[in-house]
Amino acid sequence: MSFFGLVWSWLVDPTHWQGSDGIPTRLGEHLHLSAESVAVSALIALPVGIALGHYGRFGGLAINLSNAGRAIPSFAILVIAFQIFGLGDLPIVLALTALAVPPMVTNSYVALREVDPDVREAARGMGYRELAQVLRVELPLAVPLIMAGVRTAAVQVVATATLAALIAGGGLGRYIVDGLATQDYVQTAAGAVLVAGLAFATEVGLAGVQRVLVPRGIRLLNAPTAPRTTTFKTA
Amino acid sequence: MSARVFLDYVDPWINWSWLSTHVQLVLEALGEHIELSVIAIALGLVIAVPLGVVAHRNRGLRLAVLGFFGAFYTIPSLALFALLIPFTHLSGTTAEIPLVGYNVLILVRNVLVGLDAVPRDVLDAADGMGYRARARLLRVELPLALPSIFAGLRVATVSTIGIVTITAVIGLGGLGSLIDKGLIENFRTPVVVATVLSITLAVVADLLIAGAQRIALPWSRPS
Amino acid sequence: MRSKRASLWLVGVLTAVALVAVACGGSTGGTSKGTIKVGGFKFPESSILAQIYGQALARAGYTVTYKLNLGTREVVAPALKNGDIDLYPGYAATDLEYWNNKAGEANGDAAATTAKLNTHLQSQSLIALTPSPAVDQNAFAMTKANQQKYNVTRLSDLAPIGSQLVLGAGPECPTRPYCLPGLQSTYGIHFKDFKALDTDGSATRAAFKNNTIQVGLVFSSDGDLNSLGLVVLTDDKHLEAADNVVPILRKQVATDDVKNLLNKIDAALTTADLVSMNAKESLEHQDPDAVAKTYLEAHNYFS
Repeated sequence: MSFFGLVWSWLVDPTHWQGSDGIPTRLGEHLHLSAESVAVSALIALPVGIALGHYGRFGGLAINLSNAGRAIPSFAILVIAFQIFGLGDLPIVLALTALAVPPMVTNSYVALREVDPDVREAARGMGYRELAQVLRVELPLAVPLIMAGVRTAAVQVVATATLAALIAGGGLGRYIVDGLATQDYVQTAAGAVLVAGLAFATEVGLAGVQRVLVPRGIRLLNAPTAPRTTTFKTA
Repeated sequence: MSARVFLDYVDPWINWSWLSTHVQLVLEALGEHIELSVIAIALGLVIAVPLGVVAHRNRGLRLAVLGFFGAFYTIPSLALFALLIPFTHLSGTTAEIPLVGYNVLILVRNVLVGLDAVPRDVLDAADGMGYRARARLLRVELPLALPSIFAGLRVATVSTIGIVTITAVIGLGGLGSLIDKGLIENFRTPVVVATVLSITLAVVADLLIAGAQRIALPWSRPS
Repeated sequence: MRSKRASLWLVGVLTAVALVAVACGGSTGGTSKGTIKVGGFKFPESSILAQIYGQALARAGYTVTYKLNLGTREVVAPALKNGDIDLYPGYAATDLEYWNNKAGEANGDAAATTAKLNTHLQSQSLIALTPSPAVDQNAFAMTKANQQKYNVTRLSDLAPIGSQLVLGAGPECPTRPYCLPGLQSTYGIHFKDFKALDTDGSATRAAFKNNTIQVGLVFSSDGDLNSLGLVVLTDDKHLEAADNVVPILRKQVATDDVKNLLNKIDAALTTADLVSMNAKESLEHQDPDAVAKTYLEAHNYFS
C-alpha cells in the first residue's frame, strides 16, 4: 500500500475515533485551547488598539508591537510557560495569548487610524459623544481591518496550538509529537493532515464570519483594497 | 485547570556557572540557527523575486501563486515537517522546504505590492524614453519596488528566525535544541539563553536590513 | 595585467586546497584501532552509559564518535541494524522483548534473558555481551500524598482502584509489554486513562505535581525520586524482568579487545552507581560526558 494509502487508512480507522486519544477528543482539545486564547487576546488587544487608534496616541508603540511580537519564538514561550506553571491549559493559553495580542493591537490601531478624518469631523459635528462616535461611526468602518487582524491571529493560534503537544498538552499536535517519538510516520502524517485541515477550516470559516460582520456598504467600499496588512506567522 | 508553581525547584533562570562552561555549545547552536535562517531567507528571495515579476504581468498566474503559497502559509511548520519526513527524512531539506515556502509567500506579496505601486506615468515616461521591457523592469520598476521588497524581507527574516527554533523537534540544531534540552532536563538556563539569543538575533537582523535599505535606497524610508 | 591576476588566484587556490587536504588527512595523530560509533536513547542515563563505554574505548585507542539522544528503541535499534551506530547500552529484558517481537520470553534471570536475546541477535550479526549487575527497570511511582490517600504500597494494590487513576508515561508505553499491557495482563489494572507524556522526563514530573496523573512511569535508577517526593510501588508479581545494563554491538566491532573492556566496565557497574550518576545529571545539571569522565577516572578507565 502506498504511503498515502496508509495515511488514509489511519484516518478512517474507527479505533482512532474513540477514546481519550481519539480524533474527536483531540480536535476538541485543540479548538478549546485556540478559542480560549483568541478570546482572551481579543479581550485584551482590541480595546487597547481601538482606544489608541481613536485617540491617535502611542502610534509608534502600537505599530511596532507586532514587529516585536514577531520576534518572540513560540516554542520558547511555551516551554517557559511550562517551566513556570507546569502542566495544564494555563501555560498554553498564556503563551498563545501572548503571541496573539501584538498583531491584534496593531491591526485595530491601524484600522481606527484609517478612518477618514472627514468622517470623524462630521460625526463630531453631528453631536456624537466620544464613545458613541467610536461605537457607531468609527468601529463599523474599521471592522474589516480589525476582523482581518483577528482572523490572522486566530489562524496562527490554531497553528501554534499544535506545539502544545511538546509540553505534554493535548490537541491534534499530539499525533505528530507521539508519532515522531515512536517513529510512526503514518501517525505523524495523519496528524499533519488533520492539523492542516483545521487551519484551512479556520481561515475559511473566519472569512465567512468576516463577511457576515462587515456591513454591506462598507464591504463594497473596501472591496478593491483590503489586503492583509500584517503578515504574521508563529508556527 | 489547576496549576501549581514549581515551588521546590530552586533552578535559577540563569545558571551563570553552567553558561560559562558551555559557551561552545551555545555558540554552535547559534551558528546552526543562523545558517538555517540564512538559507531559508536567501532561497525565498531568489524564488520570490522572479516569481513575483512574472506573476505581476499575468493575472491568472498571480492568483495561482498567491493561492498556492497562501494555502501553504496556513499550514503549521510542524505539520509540514511531518508530511515531508517520509520523503526527505530528518534532514535540513525537510526543515528548509516549509521555511522557504513561507518566505516566498511573504516576499511575493511584497514584490507584487511594490510593482503595483509604480505610478503609471513613470512607466509611460520610461517607455517614452525608449526603455524596452527588460530594461524598464530592471532599471525602473524593480528599483521603485525595492522599499516594499525590503519591508517584506524584514518580516520574512524575523519570522524565519522564530520558526527555525521549531526545527529542533525534528532533531536539527539551532537555538531550538537548547530549548529542547532545557525542556527534557527540567533546566531553565538553556531555554532562557535560547530565547534571549533568538530575539536578539531577530532584532539585529531587522536593524541590519533596515540599515542596508537606508544605505542602498537613501530616498526611501524604512517603514 | 590579466594573466598576472589569474596566476595569483591559481596559486592562492592551490595553496588553500593543499592546506585543506593536510588538515583533513592529518587529523588523527597516531594509529587508531578502528572507529566505533556509539549511540544512545533519548534519556540522560543512556547518554551517561554511552559516554562511559565511548570514553573508555577512546582511551584504549579507538576512534569513537557519538550519536546520542537518538530516540526510543524504534530509532536506536534500526540504527544499529543498518550500521549508523555500532554499539548502544541496552537493557536485557526490554531489549529481548523488542528483538523477539514481544514473544514474552524475558524473566528475572539476567544471564538467561541475555542468552535468549543473543539467539535473536545472531541472525542480524549483532551480539549482546555480559549483563551488568546494574539494573534500571521500569518502575511505577506515585506521590507520597497519593500513596497515603489510596493506601497502596504494591502494584497489586492498584487493581481494585485502577478505574480512578490516570497513568502517565512515554508514548511508547501502550506497546511495551512491561508497561501498560503488562499492568493490564499481570496485575489486572485497568486505568481510567493513559496520558502520553515523556519517558521519565520533566513532563512526567510536572504531571505528578499537579495531579494530572496519579501513577507514572519512572526508572528505578532515577536520582531525583526522593527529592520530588515520589514513591515507587513494589512490583510484587515481578512484571518487570531483568533489565540489567548490557551493551549491544555489531559483530564487526565486537573484537576480543572491545568485549573484554566493555565486560570489565559492566562487571564493576552497580545500580547505586547509576542512581548517583543520574542524580548528578538531574539535580546538578552536569553533562553526561562530565559525569562519565568522573566515573571512569575513579576506576582508572578500567585499563
